Formats: sequence, C-alpha cells, structure tokens
Amino acid sequence: MKILIIEDEQGLREVIRQSLEKEKYIVETAYDYISGLEKIGVYDYDCILIDIMLPNGTGLDLVRELKAMRKKEAVIIISAKDSVDDKVAGLDLGADDYLAKPFHLAELHARIKSAIRRKSHGGDTAIVWNNIKLSPEQRSVLVNDLPLTLNRKEFDLLYYFIINPNRLINKTALAESVWGDYTDQADNLDFVYSQIKNLRKKLKDAGAEADIQAVYGMGYKMS
Amino acid sequence: MKLQTYTLRYLVVALLGVIAVWAALFYVVILDETYDNIDDGLKNSKIIVIRHAYANNKLLNTPEFGFNQFKIVPLPKGVKYDHTDHFESTFEFMEYDGEDQPVRLLKTIFEDANGDPYSLTIRASMLEEDELLQDLLLALAVLYVMLVTSIALMNQIILKKVWRSFYTLLDGLKTFKLGNGSKFRAPGSPVQEFRMLGTEIEDMLKRNDEIYASQKQFIENAAHELQTPLAISLNKLELFAENNQLPEEQMMELGKISDTLHRLVRLNKSLLMLSKIENRQFAEEDAVDLNRIVKQLVEDYSDLAEYKNISITIDDREQLHFVMNKGLALTLVSNLLKNAIVHNINGGNIAIKLNANSIIIKNTGSTVALNATHIFKRFTHNPENEQSIGLGLSIVSSIITNYRLKVDYAFDGSHIFTVTFPK
Repeated sequence: MKILIIEDEQGLREVIRQSLEKEKYIVETAYDYISGLEKIGVYDYDCILIDIMLPNGTGLDLVRELKAMRKKEAVIIISAKDSVDDKVAGLDLGADDYLAKPFHLAELHARIKSAIRRKSHGGDTAIVWNNIKLSPEQRSVLVNDLPLTLNRKEFDLLYYFIINPNRLINKTALAESVWGDYTDQADNLDFVYSQIKNLRKKLKDAGAEADIQAVYGMGYKMS
Repeated sequence: MKLQTYTLRYLVVALLGVIAVWAALFYVVILDETYDNIDDGLKNSKIIVIRHAYANNKLLNTPEFGFNQFKIVPLPKGVKYDHTDHFESTFEFMEYDGEDQPVRLLKTIFEDANGDPYSLTIRASMLEEDELLQDLLLALAVLYVMLVTSIALMNQIILKKVWRSFYTLLDGLKTFKLGNGSKFRAPGSPVQEFRMLGTEIEDMLKRNDEIYASQKQFIENAAHELQTPLAISLNKLELFAENNQLPEEQMMELGKISDTLHRLVRLNKSLLMLSKIENRQFAEEDAVDLNRIVKQLVEDYSDLAEYKNISITIDDREQLHFVMNKGLALTLVSNLLKNAIVHNINGGNIAIKLNANSIIIKNTGSTVALNATHIFKRFTHNPENEQSIGLGLSIVSSIITNYRLKVDYAFDGSHIFTVTFPK
C-alpha cells in the first residue's frame, strides 16, 4: 500500500510518515503544491493525504487536478481550518474524507483504512481480526461466526480498536471518535473506561481472541 | 414614531398658531374696514340730515328714532359745544326680532339756520356686518381644517415619493449581512442627499467587509499556526509512547502531558468557536427543528446519562422551530444538556420541556444556586473539575446573543435553564 503525504510542515510530515511506516505502508512525501503535483502526475498511490494550505497553491487545487487526471486514489484532506466551507468544498471536489488538525494518529489510520477499503472493496467491507468479524455498514459483529450484541458505543469502540490493532490509542482519541467533539469533560473519560470494561467482558464471554489492555495514563491497546 | 406622523404633528401645531395669528390680524383689519365703511355712511347721512334741517325746520323736531334713523335733540343755548363727530358701537332693542342688535351711532352737535344748537344722533344697523364677521370666523375655521387635511395628504404623498429611495436603502440594509459574500448596492435616488447617503453606506460596508475578511483571515491563520504545532507535539508524544516500553511512572507522566495538550487543543478550538460565532461566521441558516435536535442529543448522551444513573424526560408536546445555523443549534442544546449531565448527581434527573418559543432544561445537582451573573462569563468553571475549560456556557451565551435569544437561570432546588426564542 502506497501513501503520499502532501504537507508543508516538516514536523507533522515526519510524524505521520513514521506512524504510517509502522503500519507497513510505503510512504512518500511532498512539501508544496508543485512537488505534490509532480508526484501525483508520475506515480499511483492507494491514498493521498493533502493539506489545504500549501506553499505555491492550495490542497483543494490538487484535489481538482487529481480528478481532472481521473485518478482513483483515495483522498483525505487534512487541514488546520476546521471550517464547514472547506470541508464541503473538499468533499464536493471528490475528496473521500476531511480531517481537522490536530488529529490523533489512530484516527488518521482509521480514516485511511476506511477510505482505501471503500475504494477497493466496493460492497463487502467487513473487517476480520482473529476470530472477530465486524461489518461497519450493518453494524454487526460476529465472534466465531456467532453474533455478538453490543450497544452503540461499545460497537464504535470495538470498531476503533479493530481498525487500529496493536496500537496505543489515546483515551481522548477514543472519547472523541465515539462522542464527536463533545468531550471536554473528565467525566467522559471515566465513562470511556466503564464502557471499555463492559466491552472487554462481552468479548471475553463470547470467546473472542482480543485483549484490550490499559496503558497507564495514556489510553488502551488491543492485541 | 414614523417620519410622516412626526412631521405632521409639528405641522398641525404650527399651523394652528399661524392661522390663529393670521385670523386675529385679518379680523382686526376687516373690523376696522367695516367700521370705516359704516362711519363714512353715517357721515354722509349727517351732511344730508343737516342740509335738510336747514331747509326744513320741521325736521328739527325728531326727538326719537322713528321712521328716520336719526334723532335731533335741542340743547340749551349759550354753551360752547364740541362740534366733532363721535362714533360708538352699542346694542339697541329692535322691535322686529325683539332682541338687542348691534348698531353704530354717530353723535354730533350742529346749529340750525337760527344758530340754535342741536345734538344729532344717527344710527346704522351693524347686523349684516356682524354676520359677516361671524362668517369670516367660520371660514377661517374651515380653512384651518382644510389646510391641515390637505397638508397631511400632501405630506403623505410627497414624503412617500421623496423618501422612497430612503426606505429602499433601509430595506437593503435590513437584509444585508456581513460576510455572506453578497455586496451591498445602494439604490439610485433623484435626491442628492440620499444618493450621498447611499454611496457613503456602500463605502462603509465595503470597508467593514474588508476588515471582516481580514479578521476572518487572521482567525484562520491563527488557527493554522496554533493547530499545527499542537498536532505535531500530540502526535510525536503518541508515537513516543507507542514506540517505547516505558515504566509505568513515566507512562503516567506522558499521559499527563498528553492530557494537558488535549486541554490546550480544546481551549483553542473553543476560543476559535467563540470568535467565529461573535464574528457571525456561521452564516448558513435553516429552519431548525429543535424538537428533533433535543431528541437526537438526548439519545447521543443516553449512555453517559445511564452511566451516571440519570433519568432524562422530554416533554415535547409543542413544536419549536427557529431559523438559525444548524451546527450552532446543536452546540447550544448539547452544551446545556452536557452541563445538566456533568453537574448532576448520581441518580439524579433531567427534565426537558419544549414550548412553542422556549426550551426549559431542569436538572438536579448541587444544592446551592449558581451565581447567575457569573456562569455565562468566560473561564468560569468548577475548580474541582480541572478538565473543564469553562467556555461551554459562554459559547451558549454568545450563540444566544447572536440570534437575539434569551437565556435565564433560576434555582428552586433544581437548576433551571430557560432559553427563550423570539417569535
């Protein structure tokens, strides 16, 4: 899987590259509009991450170019401008997703995976991990081919873990992905903890080969 | 008060004064002229009477007004008399209508052919003249009413015509909103002042638009500049924690750094949200179904509420719709609802009531009332909750101000927040 990162901020570019390389992606980077356009023109990728504010042009123009070239890459816009206008404009141009900075790396992985999956698989989008099969569209979970009943939040949590296996997931990232932006209260983190406890118990009772461990102070990890 | 009523009010009062003064002057002049006419007639009669008296002695024997409108009374001789004419207005009894009627008298003294003095009084009825004056007064009153009515009418027509371009300008201003991309165009006007007003407003709004745009740009740039370093530090920290097998205590410390950074991110996001609301950058508006929003958010928060054993009831028998930005409507209700959950007690309850023009959220919580003047201010927060940044209710408050809503806080053992929507 090849991924192109077009981002002018070196620090962010590097941290995303390292994180993606850990996931065994082949990562290339570009730092401005012109270098980004060159890479897009010459190579094919599975997914392209594009920052909106770039030197020598805007990320939205790059998305436009991509569509003009009839490229099939999954495109995710990453932007510091958390504005509805940009989001709408980007998605209208044919971007697959929009992620506002700052984001969690786990969230980025989740978005990349689901964007690539949507592009390549068409209909069948179930994710399999060990003996767990999760279908995001049907919102159903099978453990050893037997259905497992989860409530909405538990399902969202499991989805997040299964798309980021073996990675440390920040507890705030979990809270945000499951509750959106409404998480500026410590209560929610306690709540995440209690939901994870329930999820863990349900998985264990169903005999799933999944172990969610707490990483002190930081968050959780499923292995 | 409308311009028309306002001007008319002054015109009516001013006209009343002007017409009164003018009527008084006119009355005095006409009266004077009338007396003058009558007096001339009387003087003429005097000459005729005296001439006839010279020729005909019998005429001297007319001691009473009778058939003739004069009387001659002999005076003692040997006294020196004043021969000038005296005029006076008085009332005399008239037999034909049995009433006192106004008359004008001329009194003078003359000597007959023999040199004997007589006093002569000639009278003339002023009945017609008096009626004339009454008619005059009536005419003036009618004139006044006519003038006022016609001026009111003209006022209406002319003002409407003259101020038409002004009202068009006003309508244009009412619908104009900064920052939604539309340009303000002043309507043309035949009146120079209005044309000037129009171009001045156009220029001013253009300047405002530019300032607004540059401010918006600044906010966006500030966001970019802050979010990116925050993203880098957070992500580096995440990678570092993931890549290294660290002892528990060090992991805890990293966790604390990460929590603090997250707090900074939230603070930054909330401040951006606040300035965006205050700069009215949420321009897109729809008729928002608040019943649906409340239901949806209660559903979203139901797990969290369950976790705290809080029961939520919704009374949505009445429908509440309001034209506003949907995102802001969500933020408004969710911040209030979140507050009601977070500051609730274990096993407490929340009662939400939707009315045709208000939402009432009533929740159990601490047993003392909050300080209503402080809770909507920025950075007011419960010191026990260090994750709270104290901007939730000030975001509520700026949404409220933005849409001219009203929020009230009351305490009756439960905390009651009421948001009132204008009709």
